[in-house]
Amino acid sequence: MRRRALVPGLRAVAVASVLAAVARPVLAHGGSLGGGARESLTVPTWLMLATGGAAVGGSFLLASFATDRSAIDALLDGRRTLRLPVEPALRLVAGALGVVVLLGVLVTGYVGPTDPLSNPAVVVVWGGWWAGFAMSTYLVGNTWPAVNPWRTVVSALPDFGRSYRWRFGAWPSVAGLLALVWIEVVSPLADEPAVLATTVLGYSAVTLAGAVVYGPETWFSEVDPVARVFRYYGAVAPFGRAEDGSPELRPPGSAVSSDLLDGVDEVAFVVALLWVTTFDGFVATPAWRTVARWLVGLGYPPALLYPGAMLAGFALFFGLYLLAARLARRTAPTYVATATLARRFAPPLLAIAAGYHVAHFLGYFLSLTPALLTAVTAPLATVNPPLLVVPGWFGGVAIAGVLGGHLVAILAAHATAFDLFPGRLQAIRSQYPFIAVMVCYTMASLWIVTRPDVPLPYLP
Amino acid sequence: MTDATQRSGDGFGETHGDETDDDRTAYDVPSDETPVECTYCGRPFESDALLALHRGQVHADVITDDERAAYDSAHEAESGQLRRFRLKALAVLVVIYFGFLMVYALV
Ligand SMILES: [Zn+2]
Repeated sequence: MRRRALVPGLRAVAVASVLAAVARPVLAHGGSLGGGARESLTVPTWLMLATGGAAVGGSFLLASFATDRSAIDALLDGRRTLRLPVEPALRLVAGALGVVVLLGVLVTGYVGPTDPLSNPAVVVVWGGWWAGFAMSTYLVGNTWPAVNPWRTVVSALPDFGRSYRWRFGAWPSVAGLLALVWIEVVSPLADEPAVLATTVLGYSAVTLAGAVVYGPETWFSEVDPVARVFRYYGAVAPFGRAEDGSPELRPPGSAVSSDLLDGVDEVAFVVALLWVTTFDGFVATPAWRTVARWLVGLGYPPALLYPGAMLAGFALFFGLYLLAARLARRTAPTYVATATLARRFAPPLLAIAAGYHVAHFLGYFLSLTPALLTAVTAPLATVNPPLLVVPGWFGGVAIAGVLGGHLVAILAAHATAFDLFPGRLQAIRSQYPFIAVMVCYTMASLWIVTRPDVPLPYLP
Repeated sequence: MTDATQRSGDGFGETHGDETDDDRTAYDVPSDETPVECTYCGRPFESDALLALHRGQVHADVITDDERAAYDSAHEAESGQLRRFRLKALAVLVVIYFGFLMVYALV
């Protein structure tokens, strides 16, 4: 039963407070939770959604009391450039480590134990990489350019340097991200190591071919969705790179209030990053099952259910976001173009995406640490490693992740507005539509996590 | 008048690399509106007050005494509006807080 069944023993996480329901994705990824969490939840759904929405809206109102420009600037400054004399050596080690891990994943995926928890490929890719490493990119800093094994391999290959059509911009990486998450949802990537290894092999073939043809710089900065995900997550992190390329330490979240994105295509990627998190949970709700059955009853081909939902939901999210940018012109009011507003107010959303990632994966990662250790020490043995039981209060950490992400996003959007507009009241009003979108997103996410988890319909 | 002062063009997707991103802000003025424009940088504004605020912030070292006075009075007027906004925001926060307190007591 795909990734959700990988860790069946995590029911113990109690959902104590109202917003604790946000913690459920930890379980949704870790085990088939069924009605477990909801039984302990005495608050009606509508009240919980209202509370979540009010928490976001109230945070915005609180932030609106900060209107002193020099104070807002001071909050964002305090960047410190770091000296890292051993950087070339570190890069070499990280690159080599990345390649060794990739080879290990491919080999053990095919010849390792078939029990997913004993299989290093499954445990390393899901626990080590997509949960653990991804968390390090926004909590610490993005080290993917150094670790990225495909980049290391490509640097040893010839570079054809075909010019990339800039007008495609980030759209190929948007499509790539949606495609990767679609594959993750509909195929048993976490249960069948060979399927996982084949997927990694397929991704490697596409990535190496693309990087050789267009050159690694273009490929990994424009087309490759994985590199883009980690680069965007890295914008939230306290460690980053200054404009001259030297490493710097900055207040966490301060970089997402600067003008990071090049165009609306890159905005689409930020929105896609938020949407795929939601999609993962949405397709496990009874509502989706009902819609899917209804669509198939109307003659919609079942094979196109998931790609269709993926695209439709993304279009909805992106459309709503662009609508908010349009409306902001009126609420501010301002003559700043819709595209500029969309571009400037998108990076703060990355903090929200990071917050949901913490909620999804921190407990999952910790519960898998014994399996990760076993995967490294005894890669080819079926040992059935134990799962670390995450204590009940841990749900609170997940909530803190979601709330913290929202708080950073609201503060960053606030700073962005004060950077864009001369009027203080204008800067506050310009955020109304974006805050409305954030409130809707929070309530939609809360609604999804309080639905019962059902098996995904129309999948083999 | 549409895009009268659009300086960074619409090809954001083409501005790759690490050129300085000092001002990549694009403007889009509806054809039926007449904006006031900053004489120093050409940026269009919706009202004289916003233009005055902009001049005082961005061009503080070059503006005339009249423009400085206009900035000060616009800033003053805005502070008054801001105080009223804060009162409303505070009222909404209080209503939210006690509203939820009561609802949670009842449910
Ligand atoms: Zn000006």
